[in-house]
Amino acid sequence: MLSYAVFSGITLGGMYALVAMGLTLQYGVSRIMNLAYGELVIVASFAAFVLMTSAGINPVIGLLIFIPASFALNWAIYRILLSPLVARAKNRGMLEVDSILATFGLLFIVQGILLVWFGGNYYSYDFMNGAVDVFGAAIAANRLVALGFALVFGLGFYLVLTRTRMGTALRAVAVDPQSARLVAIDVNFAACFAFALGGAMAAVGGVLVSMFLTFSTSMGVAFTMKALIVVIMGGVGNMLGALVAGLILGIAEALVATYIDPGLTIAVTYVIFLLVLLIKPSGLFGRTVS
Amino acid sequence: MLEVHKLSVSYGKHTALRDVSLRVDRGEIVVMLGANGAGKSSLLKACAGLVAKHENTAIALSGKDLTDLAAHRIVEAGLALVPEGRGIFGDLTVRENLELGAFAKRARTSEKDNLERVMTLFPKLSERLDQDARTMSGGEQQMVALGRALMSNPDILLLDEPSLGLSPIMTGDLFKALAAIRNTGVGVLLVEQNAHQSLAISDRGYLIENGAITGQDTALALQSDLAVQKAFLGLATA
Repeated sequence: MLSYAVFSGITLGGMYALVAMGLTLQYGVSRIMNLAYGELVIVASFAAFVLMTSAGINPVIGLLIFIPASFALNWAIYRILLSPLVARAKNRGMLEVDSILATFGLLFIVQGILLVWFGGNYYSYDFMNGAVDVFGAAIAANRLVALGFALVFGLGFYLVLTRTRMGTALRAVAVDPQSARLVAIDVNFAACFAFALGGAMAAVGGVLVSMFLTFSTSMGVAFTMKALIVVIMGGVGNMLGALVAGLILGIAEALVATYIDPGLTIAVTYVIFLLVLLIKPSGLFGRTVS
Repeated sequence: MLEVHKLSVSYGKHTALRDVSLRVDRGEIVVMLGANGAGKSSLLKACAGLVAKHENTAIALSGKDLTDLAAHRIVEAGLALVPEGRGIFGDLTVRENLELGAFAKRARTSEKDNLERVMTLFPKLSERLDQDARTMSGGEQQMVALGRALMSNPDILLLDEPSLGLSPIMTGDLFKALAAIRNTGVGVLLVEQNAHQSLAISDRGYLIENGAITGQDTALALQSDLAVQKAFLGLATA
Protein backbone atom coordinates (compact mmCIF):
# COMPACT_ATOMS: atom_id res chain seq x y z
CA MET A 1 0.00 0.00 0.00
CA LEU A 2 2.81 2.40 0.84
CA SER A 3 4.70 1.74 -2.36
CA TYR A 4 1.46 2.20 -4.30
CA ALA A 5 0.77 5.54 -2.62
CA VAL A 6 4.32 6.75 -3.13
CA PHE A 7 4.32 5.68 -6.75
CA SER A 8 1.03 7.33 -7.64
CA GLY A 9 2.29 10.39 -5.76
CA ILE A 10 5.42 10.49 -7.90
CA THR A 11 3.34 10.16 -11.06
CA LEU A 12 1.00 12.96 -10.00
CA GLY A 13 3.94 15.06 -8.82
CA GLY A 14 5.70 14.54 -12.13
CA MET A 15 2.63 15.94 -13.90
CA TYR A 16 2.52 18.95 -11.58
CA ALA A 17 6.20 19.60 -12.15
CA LEU A 18 5.91 19.33 -15.92
CA VAL A 19 2.92 21.66 -16.09
CA ALA A 20 4.56 24.12 -13.68
CA MET A 21 7.76 24.26 -15.75
CA GLY A 22 5.78 25.58 -18.70
CA LEU A 23 4.05 28.17 -16.56
CA THR A 24 7.28 29.41 -15.00
CA LEU A 25 8.80 29.73 -18.47
CA GLN A 26 5.87 31.83 -19.67
CA TYR A 27 6.00 34.00 -16.58
CA GLY A 28 9.79 34.26 -16.27
CA VAL A 29 10.72 34.94 -19.88
CA SER A 30 7.57 36.33 -21.49
CA ARG A 31 6.43 38.16 -18.33
CA ILE A 32 2.91 36.89 -18.96
CA MET A 33 0.91 35.70 -15.96
CA ASN A 34 -1.24 33.24 -17.90
CA LEU A 35 -4.47 32.49 -16.02
CA ALA A 36 -5.76 30.45 -18.98
CA TYR A 37 -2.81 28.08 -18.67
CA GLY A 38 -4.78 25.25 -17.06
CA GLU A 39 -7.47 25.51 -19.76
CA LEU A 40 -4.83 24.72 -22.36
CA VAL A 41 -3.85 21.67 -20.31
CA ILE A 42 -7.46 20.49 -20.40
CA VAL A 43 -7.86 21.28 -24.10
CA ALA A 44 -4.99 18.86 -24.73
CA SER A 45 -6.67 16.23 -22.53
CA PHE A 46 -9.84 16.49 -24.59
CA ALA A 47 -7.91 16.49 -27.83
CA ALA A 48 -6.22 13.24 -26.77
CA PHE A 49 -9.65 11.86 -25.84
CA VAL A 50 -11.16 12.73 -29.22
CA LEU A 51 -8.21 11.32 -31.12
CA MET A 52 -8.34 8.07 -29.15
CA THR A 53 -12.10 7.53 -29.17
CA SER A 54 -12.92 8.70 -32.69
CA ALA A 55 -9.80 7.79 -34.66
CA GLY A 56 -8.30 5.14 -32.41
CA ILE A 57 -4.93 6.90 -32.42
CA ASN A 58 -3.26 6.46 -29.05
CA PRO A 59 -2.13 9.53 -27.08
CA VAL A 60 1.58 8.74 -27.34
CA ILE A 61 1.37 9.11 -31.11
CA GLY A 62 -1.02 12.00 -30.49
CA LEU A 63 1.84 13.89 -28.81
CA LEU A 64 3.54 14.14 -32.20
CA ILE A 65 0.55 16.16 -33.41
CA PHE A 66 -0.27 18.02 -30.20
CA ILE A 67 3.18 19.39 -29.44
CA PRO A 68 3.61 21.32 -32.72
CA ALA A 69 -0.11 22.21 -32.76
CA SER A 70 -0.08 23.68 -29.26
CA PHE A 71 3.19 25.46 -30.00
CA ALA A 72 1.54 27.09 -33.01
CA LEU A 73 -1.68 27.86 -31.10
CA ASN A 74 0.19 29.55 -28.25
CA TRP A 75 2.38 31.40 -30.73
CA ALA A 76 -0.81 32.79 -32.28
CA ILE A 77 -2.29 33.66 -28.87
CA TYR A 78 0.85 35.62 -28.05
CA ARG A 79 1.00 37.41 -31.40
CA ILE A 80 -2.70 38.27 -31.57
CA LEU A 81 -3.83 38.72 -27.97
CA LEU A 82 -0.70 39.51 -25.98
CA SER A 83 1.81 41.39 -28.11
CA PRO A 84 -0.41 44.50 -28.30
CA LEU A 85 -0.34 44.49 -24.49
CA VAL A 86 3.44 44.09 -24.47
CA ALA A 87 3.78 46.98 -26.92
CA ARG A 88 1.70 49.38 -24.85
CA ALA A 89 2.98 48.38 -21.38
CA LYS A 90 5.23 51.04 -19.91
CA ASN A 91 6.69 48.68 -17.30
CA ARG A 92 6.60 45.14 -16.05
CA GLY A 93 3.86 45.76 -13.49
CA MET A 94 1.53 47.14 -16.12
CA LEU A 95 2.09 44.14 -18.39
CA GLU A 96 1.37 41.78 -15.49
CA VAL A 97 -1.96 43.44 -14.71
CA ASP A 98 -2.95 43.58 -18.39
CA SER A 99 -1.95 39.98 -19.08
CA ILE A 100 -3.82 38.71 -16.02
CA LEU A 101 -7.01 40.42 -17.22
CA ALA A 102 -6.60 39.31 -20.83
CA THR A 103 -5.83 35.67 -20.00
CA PHE A 104 -8.64 35.67 -17.44
CA GLY A 105 -10.94 36.47 -20.35
CA LEU A 106 -9.28 33.81 -22.48
CA LEU A 107 -9.96 31.30 -19.69
CA PHE A 108 -13.73 31.83 -20.03
CA ILE A 109 -13.64 31.69 -23.82
CA VAL A 110 -11.76 28.37 -23.85
CA GLN A 111 -13.87 26.93 -21.05
CA GLY A 112 -17.06 28.06 -22.79
CA ILE A 113 -16.09 26.38 -26.05
CA LEU A 114 -15.24 23.16 -24.20
CA LEU A 115 -18.58 23.26 -22.34
CA VAL A 116 -20.53 23.65 -25.57
CA TRP A 117 -18.77 20.68 -27.10
CA PHE A 118 -18.37 18.33 -24.18
CA GLY A 119 -20.75 19.49 -21.45
CA GLY A 120 -19.94 19.24 -17.77
CA ASN A 121 -19.39 15.49 -17.44
CA TYR A 122 -16.22 13.66 -16.48
CA TYR A 123 -14.36 11.97 -19.32
CA SER A 124 -11.76 9.25 -19.59
CA TYR A 125 -10.61 6.68 -22.11
CA ASP A 126 -8.99 3.26 -22.02
CA PHE A 127 -5.30 3.25 -22.74
CA MET A 128 -2.89 0.58 -21.42
CA ASN A 129 -5.04 -0.27 -18.42
CA GLY A 130 -3.20 -3.48 -17.58
CA ALA A 131 -1.41 -3.64 -14.24
CA VAL A 132 2.35 -3.89 -13.91
CA ASP A 133 4.10 -5.04 -10.74
CA VAL A 134 6.37 -2.33 -9.33
CA PHE A 135 8.04 -3.20 -6.00
CA GLY A 136 5.08 -5.33 -5.01
CA ALA A 137 2.44 -2.81 -5.98
CA ALA A 138 0.12 -3.26 -8.95
CA ILE A 139 0.47 -0.08 -11.00
CA ALA A 140 -1.50 0.65 -14.16
CA ALA A 141 0.77 0.63 -17.19
CA ASN A 142 -0.61 3.98 -18.35
CA ARG A 143 0.75 5.64 -15.21
CA LEU A 144 4.19 4.23 -15.92
CA VAL A 145 4.04 5.51 -19.48
CA ALA A 146 2.87 8.95 -18.32
CA LEU A 147 5.59 9.13 -15.69
CA GLY A 148 8.23 8.02 -18.17
CA PHE A 149 7.24 10.70 -20.65
CA ALA A 150 7.05 13.34 -17.92
CA LEU A 151 10.62 12.49 -16.92
CA VAL A 152 11.85 12.59 -20.50
CA PHE A 153 10.16 15.90 -21.27
CA GLY A 154 11.07 17.47 -17.94
CA LEU A 155 14.70 16.47 -18.21
CA GLY A 156 14.89 17.37 -21.89
CA PHE A 157 13.38 20.75 -21.17
CA TYR A 158 15.83 21.35 -18.34
CA LEU A 159 18.80 20.39 -20.52
CA VAL A 160 17.65 22.60 -23.38
CA LEU A 161 17.37 25.56 -21.02
CA THR A 162 20.72 25.03 -19.34
CA ARG A 163 22.91 23.48 -22.03
CA THR A 164 22.01 25.16 -25.30
CA ARG A 165 22.67 28.67 -26.55
CA MET A 166 18.98 29.27 -27.17
CA GLY A 167 18.15 28.09 -23.64
CA THR A 168 20.81 30.31 -22.09
CA ALA A 169 19.45 33.20 -24.15
CA LEU A 170 15.93 32.55 -22.78
CA ARG A 171 17.29 32.57 -19.23
CA ALA A 172 19.16 35.79 -19.98
CA VAL A 173 15.90 37.42 -21.06
CA ALA A 174 14.35 36.29 -17.78
CA VAL A 175 17.24 37.79 -15.79
CA ASP A 176 17.54 41.12 -17.62
CA PRO A 177 15.59 41.85 -20.83
CA GLN A 178 17.33 45.20 -21.36
CA SER A 179 20.81 43.67 -21.33
CA ALA A 180 19.63 40.77 -23.47
CA ARG A 181 19.11 43.22 -26.33
CA LEU A 182 22.73 44.29 -25.98
CA VAL A 183 23.95 40.79 -26.82
CA ALA A 184 21.92 40.65 -30.03
CA ILE A 185 18.98 38.70 -28.57
CA ASP A 186 15.66 39.60 -30.18
CA VAL A 187 13.70 39.95 -26.94
CA ASN A 188 10.27 40.09 -28.59
CA PHE A 189 10.96 36.90 -30.47
CA ALA A 190 12.33 35.21 -27.33
CA ALA A 191 9.20 36.16 -25.37
CA CYS A 192 6.94 34.76 -28.07
CA PHE A 193 9.04 31.60 -28.37
CA ALA A 194 9.06 31.03 -24.60
CA PHE A 195 5.30 31.52 -24.41
CA ALA A 196 4.73 29.01 -27.19
CA LEU A 197 7.19 26.53 -25.65
CA GLY A 198 5.48 26.87 -22.26
CA GLY A 199 2.14 26.26 -23.97
CA ALA A 200 3.54 23.12 -25.59
CA MET A 201 4.57 21.90 -22.12
CA ALA A 202 0.99 22.48 -20.93
CA ALA A 203 -0.27 20.35 -23.80
CA VAL A 204 2.17 17.53 -23.00
CA GLY A 205 0.98 17.67 -19.39
CA GLY A 206 -2.66 17.56 -20.48
CA VAL A 207 -2.15 14.56 -22.75
CA LEU A 208 -0.19 12.60 -20.12
CA VAL A 209 -2.73 13.36 -17.38
CA SER A 210 -5.59 12.18 -19.61
CA MET A 211 -3.95 8.75 -19.86
CA PHE A 212 -4.70 7.90 -16.24
CA LEU A 213 -7.05 10.49 -14.72
CA THR A 214 -10.64 11.46 -15.40
CA PHE A 215 -11.04 15.05 -16.48
CA SER A 216 -13.82 17.58 -17.06
CA THR A 217 -14.19 20.95 -18.76
CA SER A 218 -14.04 22.79 -15.44
CA MET A 219 -10.76 21.33 -14.23
CA GLY A 220 -8.50 23.89 -15.91
CA VAL A 221 -8.58 26.31 -13.02
CA ALA A 222 -7.38 23.58 -10.66
CA PHE A 223 -4.35 22.99 -12.91
CA THR A 224 -3.57 26.70 -13.07
CA MET A 225 -3.74 26.92 -9.27
CA LYS A 226 -1.59 23.83 -8.77
CA ALA A 227 0.96 25.05 -11.28
CA LEU A 228 1.08 28.46 -9.61
CA ILE A 229 1.56 26.90 -6.19
CA VAL A 230 4.35 24.68 -7.50
CA VAL A 231 6.05 27.60 -9.26
CA ILE A 232 5.94 29.85 -6.20
CA MET A 233 6.87 27.02 -3.83
CA GLY A 234 9.87 26.04 -5.93
CA GLY A 235 11.04 29.60 -6.48
CA VAL A 236 9.79 31.65 -9.43
CA GLY A 237 11.72 30.93 -12.61
CA ASN A 238 13.57 27.95 -11.13
CA MET A 239 13.13 24.72 -13.11
CA LEU A 240 14.70 22.47 -10.48
CA GLY A 241 12.51 24.10 -7.86
CA ALA A 242 9.39 23.34 -9.92
CA LEU A 243 10.45 19.70 -10.17
CA VAL A 244 11.08 19.26 -6.44
CA ALA A 245 7.99 21.20 -5.37
CA GLY A 246 5.82 19.25 -7.81
CA LEU A 247 7.06 15.92 -6.46
CA ILE A 248 6.62 16.98 -2.84
CA LEU A 249 3.02 18.03 -3.47
CA GLY A 250 2.21 14.92 -5.49
CA ILE A 251 3.59 12.50 -2.91
CA ALA A 252 2.01 14.37 0.01
CA GLU A 253 -1.37 14.35 -1.69
CA ALA A 254 -1.17 10.63 -2.49
CA LEU A 255 -0.13 9.73 1.07
CA VAL A 256 -2.92 11.80 2.60
CA ALA A 257 -5.48 10.38 0.17
CA THR A 258 -4.39 6.81 0.93
CA TYR A 259 -3.93 6.95 4.70
CA ILE A 260 -6.16 9.76 5.94
CA ASP A 261 -8.91 11.01 3.65
CA PRO A 262 -9.03 11.83 -0.09
CA GLY A 263 -11.03 14.96 0.78
CA LEU A 264 -8.02 16.45 2.54
CA THR A 265 -5.65 16.56 -0.45
CA ILE A 266 -6.33 20.21 -1.24
CA ALA A 267 -5.98 21.14 2.42
CA VAL A 268 -2.60 19.43 2.67
CA THR A 269 -1.45 21.18 -0.50
CA TYR A 270 -2.13 24.56 1.01
CA VAL A 271 -0.66 23.67 4.39
CA ILE A 272 2.62 22.67 2.76
CA PHE A 273 2.49 25.75 0.57
CA LEU A 274 1.96 28.01 3.58
CA LEU A 275 4.73 26.32 5.56
CA VAL A 276 7.24 26.79 2.74
CA LEU A 277 6.28 30.44 2.32
CA LEU A 278 6.55 31.07 6.07
CA ILE A 279 10.00 29.50 6.31
CA LYS A 280 11.38 30.54 2.92
CA PRO A 281 9.28 33.31 1.33
CA SER A 282 11.19 33.21 -1.96
CA GLY A 283 10.50 29.49 -2.42
CA LEU A 284 12.57 26.34 -1.92
CA PHE A 285 15.17 27.23 -4.55
CA GLY A 286 14.36 30.91 -4.85
CA ARG A 287 16.88 33.62 -4.26
CA THR A 288 16.06 36.38 -1.81
CA VAL A 289 15.64 39.56 -3.75
CA SER A 290 17.94 42.21 -2.37
CA MET B 1 34.01 53.81 -38.67
CA LEU B 2 31.08 55.10 -36.60
CA GLU B 3 29.53 58.30 -37.87
CA VAL B 4 26.92 60.14 -35.84
CA HIS B 5 25.23 63.02 -37.63
CA LYS B 6 22.97 65.57 -35.91
CA LEU B 7 21.82 63.26 -33.15
CA SER B 8 19.00 64.70 -31.03
CA VAL B 9 17.20 62.93 -28.20
CA SER B 10 14.31 64.11 -26.02
CA TYR B 11 12.63 62.62 -22.99
CA GLY B 12 9.18 64.18 -23.03
CA LYS B 13 9.76 67.96 -23.08
CA HIS B 14 13.33 67.68 -21.86
CA THR B 15 15.97 67.73 -24.59
CA ALA B 16 18.89 65.52 -23.63
CA LEU B 17 20.95 65.85 -26.85
CA ARG B 18 20.92 68.54 -29.54
CA ASP B 19 22.50 68.01 -32.97
CA VAL B 20 25.45 65.99 -31.73
CA SER B 21 27.83 64.91 -34.49
CA LEU B 22 30.93 62.82 -33.99
CA ARG B 23 33.13 60.19 -35.56
CA VAL B 24 34.99 57.18 -34.18
CA ASP B 25 37.48 55.34 -36.40
CA ARG B 26 38.56 51.75 -35.95
CA GLY B 27 41.76 51.44 -33.93
CA GLU B 28 41.33 54.61 -31.91
CA ILE B 29 40.02 55.52 -28.48
CA VAL B 30 37.79 58.56 -28.40
CA VAL B 31 36.75 59.93 -25.04
CA MET B 32 33.62 61.95 -24.39
CA LEU B 33 34.11 64.21 -21.40
CA GLY B 34 31.22 65.89 -19.63
CA ALA B 35 29.59 66.45 -16.27
CA ASN B 36 26.72 64.41 -14.85
CA GLY B 37 23.57 64.99 -16.88
CA ALA B 38 25.41 66.42 -19.89
CA GLY B 39 23.89 63.71 -22.08
CA LYS B 40 26.76 61.23 -22.30
CA SER B 41 24.70 58.15 -21.43
CA SER B 42 21.88 59.24 -23.75
CA LEU B 43 24.41 59.51 -26.57
CA LEU B 44 25.59 55.93 -26.14
CA LYS B 45 22.06 54.57 -25.61
CA ALA B 46 20.89 56.33 -28.77
CA CYS B 47 23.75 54.80 -30.77
CA ALA B 48 22.89 51.34 -29.37
CA GLY B 49 19.22 51.73 -30.28
CA LEU B 50 17.91 51.84 -26.71
CA VAL B 51 16.29 55.31 -26.86
CA ALA B 52 14.27 57.05 -29.56
CA LYS B 53 16.00 59.66 -31.74
CA HIS B 54 14.72 62.74 -33.57
CA GLU B 55 13.92 62.44 -37.25
CA ASN B 56 16.89 64.25 -38.80
CA THR B 57 19.38 62.06 -36.94
CA ALA B 58 21.64 59.77 -38.95
CA ILE B 59 23.93 57.09 -37.49
CA ALA B 60 26.07 54.88 -39.70
CA LEU B 61 28.68 52.20 -39.10
CA SER B 62 31.15 51.67 -41.95
CA GLY B 63 28.55 53.05 -44.35
CA LYS B 64 25.68 50.89 -43.04
CA ASP B 65 22.74 52.91 -41.76
CA LEU B 66 21.98 52.09 -38.11
CA THR B 67 19.52 54.90 -37.41
CA ASP B 68 16.30 52.90 -37.35
CA LEU B 69 17.63 49.45 -36.46
CA ALA B 70 16.43 47.61 -33.34
CA ALA B 71 19.01 47.20 -30.57
CA HIS B 72 19.75 43.54 -31.31
CA ARG B 73 20.37 44.30 -34.99
CA ILE B 74 22.80 47.07 -34.11
CA VAL B 75 24.94 44.54 -32.20
CA GLU B 76 24.73 42.32 -35.26
CA ALA B 77 26.04 45.22 -37.35
CA GLY B 78 29.15 45.52 -35.19
CA LEU B 79 28.42 48.03 -32.46
CA ALA B 80 28.58 46.81 -28.84
CA LEU B 81 27.63 48.78 -25.74
CA VAL B 82 28.84 48.19 -22.19
CA PRO B 83 26.12 50.12 -20.35
CA GLU B 84 26.41 52.10 -17.16
CA GLY B 85 26.13 49.67 -14.26
CA ARG B 86 27.59 46.97 -16.54
CA GLY B 87 24.33 45.15 -17.39
CA ILE B 88 25.77 41.68 -16.92
CA PHE B 89 23.48 38.71 -16.21
CA GLY B 90 24.05 38.31 -12.47
CA ASP B 91 22.25 34.98 -12.11
CA LEU B 92 24.20 33.38 -14.94
CA THR B 93 27.78 32.17 -14.74
CA VAL B 94 30.74 34.04 -16.17
CA ARG B 95 31.00 31.41 -18.91
CA GLU B 96 27.32 31.84 -19.82
CA ASN B 97 27.71 35.61 -19.89
CA LEU B 98 30.61 35.30 -22.31
CA GLU B 99 28.80 32.72 -24.43
CA LEU B 100 25.84 35.05 -24.73
CA GLY B 101 28.21 37.75 -25.88
CA ALA B 102 28.73 35.57 -28.94
CA PHE B 103 24.98 35.16 -29.52
CA ALA B 104 25.22 37.49 -32.53
CA LYS B 105 25.58 35.57 -35.80
CA ARG B 106 28.54 37.73 -36.77
CA ALA B 107 30.41 36.39 -33.71
CA ARG B 108 29.79 32.65 -34.11
CA THR B 109 32.67 31.73 -36.38
CA SER B 110 35.27 33.62 -34.36
CA GLU B 111 33.86 32.62 -30.96
CA LYS B 112 36.82 30.47 -29.92
CA ASP B 113 39.41 33.05 -30.93
CA ASN B 114 37.50 35.80 -29.18
CA LEU B 115 37.18 33.75 -26.00
CA GLU B 116 40.93 33.20 -26.01
CA ARG B 117 41.45 36.90 -26.54
CA VAL B 118 39.25 37.74 -23.56
CA MET B 119 41.05 35.15 -21.40
CA THR B 120 44.42 36.64 -22.33
CA LEU B 121 43.16 40.12 -21.62
CA PHE B 122 41.59 39.16 -18.27
CA PRO B 123 43.36 36.03 -16.96
CA LYS B 124 41.39 36.34 -13.73
CA LEU B 125 38.17 35.42 -15.53
CA SER B 126 39.53 32.04 -16.63
CA GLU B 127 39.64 30.94 -12.96
CA ARG B 128 36.07 32.14 -12.39
CA LEU B 129 34.25 30.78 -15.41
CA ASP B 130 31.73 28.74 -13.43
CA GLN B 131 31.01 31.36 -10.81
CA ASP B 132 27.74 33.31 -10.82
CA ALA B 133 28.55 36.75 -12.18
CA ARG B 134 26.79 38.61 -9.37
CA THR B 135 29.11 37.11 -6.73
CA MET B 136 32.17 38.84 -8.22
CA SER B 137 33.79 42.14 -7.23
CA GLY B 138 33.01 45.34 -9.11
CA GLY B 139 36.23 45.22 -11.09
CA GLU B 140 35.71 41.60 -12.08
CA GLN B 141 32.13 42.33 -13.12
CA GLN B 142 33.42 45.12 -15.34
CA MET B 143 35.80 42.59 -16.91
CA VAL B 144 32.85 40.27 -17.57
CA ALA B 145 30.90 43.13 -19.12
CA LEU B 146 33.82 44.15 -21.32
CA GLY B 147 34.58 40.53 -22.19
CA ARG B 148 30.96 39.91 -23.13
CA ALA B 149 30.98 42.93 -25.43
CA LEU B 150 34.22 41.77 -27.08
CA MET B 151 32.72 38.32 -27.65
CA SER B 152 30.26 39.92 -30.09
CA ASN B 153 33.26 40.69 -32.31
CA PRO B 154 32.53 44.42 -32.51
CA ASP B 155 34.03 46.98 -34.88
CA ILE B 156 33.19 49.73 -32.43
CA LEU B 157 32.88 49.42 -28.66
CA LEU B 158 30.87 51.90 -26.59
CA LEU B 159 31.68 52.16 -22.89
CA ASP B 160 29.57 54.06 -20.38
CA GLU B 161 31.68 55.14 -17.40
CA PRO B 162 33.51 51.84 -16.93
CA SER B 163 35.60 53.28 -14.08
CA LEU B 164 32.54 54.04 -11.94
CA GLY B 165 32.93 52.42 -8.53
CA LEU B 166 36.39 51.01 -9.26
CA SER B 167 39.55 51.71 -7.28
CA PRO B 168 42.25 53.78 -9.06
CA ILE B 169 44.37 50.64 -9.49
CA MET B 170 41.46 48.70 -10.99
CA THR B 171 40.70 51.64 -13.26
CA GLY B 172 44.32 51.68 -14.39
CA ASP B 173 44.19 47.97 -15.25
CA LEU B 174 40.92 48.42 -17.07
CA PHE B 175 42.23 51.31 -19.16
CA LYS B 176 45.34 49.32 -20.03
CA ALA B 177 43.04 46.60 -21.32
CA LEU B 178 41.19 49.21 -23.39
CA ALA B 179 44.44 50.32 -24.98
CA ALA B 180 45.18 46.68 -25.84
CA ILE B 181 41.71 46.31 -27.37
CA ARG B 182 42.27 49.44 -29.46
CA ASN B 183 45.52 47.95 -30.74
CA THR B 184 43.61 44.98 -32.16
CA GLY B 185 41.79 47.40 -34.46
CA VAL B 186 38.58 47.97 -32.50
CA GLY B 187 37.36 51.54 -32.21
CA VAL B 188 36.41 52.63 -28.69
CA LEU B 189 34.05 55.43 -27.69
CA LEU B 190 34.57 56.01 -24.00
CA VAL B 191 32.28 58.13 -21.87
CA GLU B 192 34.01 59.19 -18.67
CA GLN B 193 34.13 61.62 -15.80
CA ASN B 194 37.61 60.44 -14.92
CA ALA B 195 39.29 62.82 -17.37
CA HIS B 196 42.83 62.37 -16.14
CA GLN B 197 43.17 58.63 -16.67
CA SER B 198 40.94 58.46 -19.74
CA LEU B 199 42.74 61.22 -21.64
CA ALA B 200 46.03 59.44 -20.97
CA ILE B 201 44.96 56.44 -23.09
CA SER B 202 42.79 58.26 -25.63
CA ASP B 203 43.66 59.46 -29.11
CA ARG B 204 41.01 62.13 -29.40
CA GLY B 205 38.34 63.66 -27.24
CA TYR B 206 35.06 65.58 -27.35
CA LEU B 207 33.63 67.88 -24.70
CA ILE B 208 29.89 67.73 -24.09
CA GLU B 209 27.81 70.25 -22.12
CA ASN B 210 24.03 70.42 -21.75
CA GLY B 211 23.47 67.98 -24.57
CA ALA B 212 25.71 69.65 -27.16
CA ILE B 213 29.32 69.18 -28.24
CA THR B 214 31.34 72.22 -27.15
CA GLY B 215 34.80 71.23 -28.23
CA GLN B 216 37.00 68.56 -29.74
CA ASP B 217 40.71 68.00 -30.12
CA THR B 218 43.46 65.42 -29.80
CA ALA B 219 43.80 63.94 -26.35
CA LEU B 220 47.23 65.56 -26.00
CA ALA B 221 45.86 69.02 -26.75
CA LEU B 222 42.90 68.52 -24.43
CA GLN B 223 45.23 67.54 -21.60
CA SER B 224 46.99 70.89 -21.83
CA ASP B 225 43.85 72.92 -22.56
CA LEU B 226 43.25 75.32 -19.69
CA ALA B 227 39.47 75.14 -19.85
CA VAL B 228 39.56 71.35 -19.77
CA GLN B 229 42.01 71.41 -16.92
CA LYS B 230 39.72 73.67 -14.94
CA ALA B 231 36.55 71.76 -15.69
CA PHE B 232 37.72 68.16 -15.53
CA LEU B 233 41.26 67.83 -14.25
CA GLY B 234 40.71 69.67 -10.98
CA LEU B 235 43.26 72.40 -11.65
CA ALA B 236 42.58 75.15 -9.13
CA THR B 237 44.15 78.15 -10.85
CA ALA B 238 42.62 81.58 -11.31
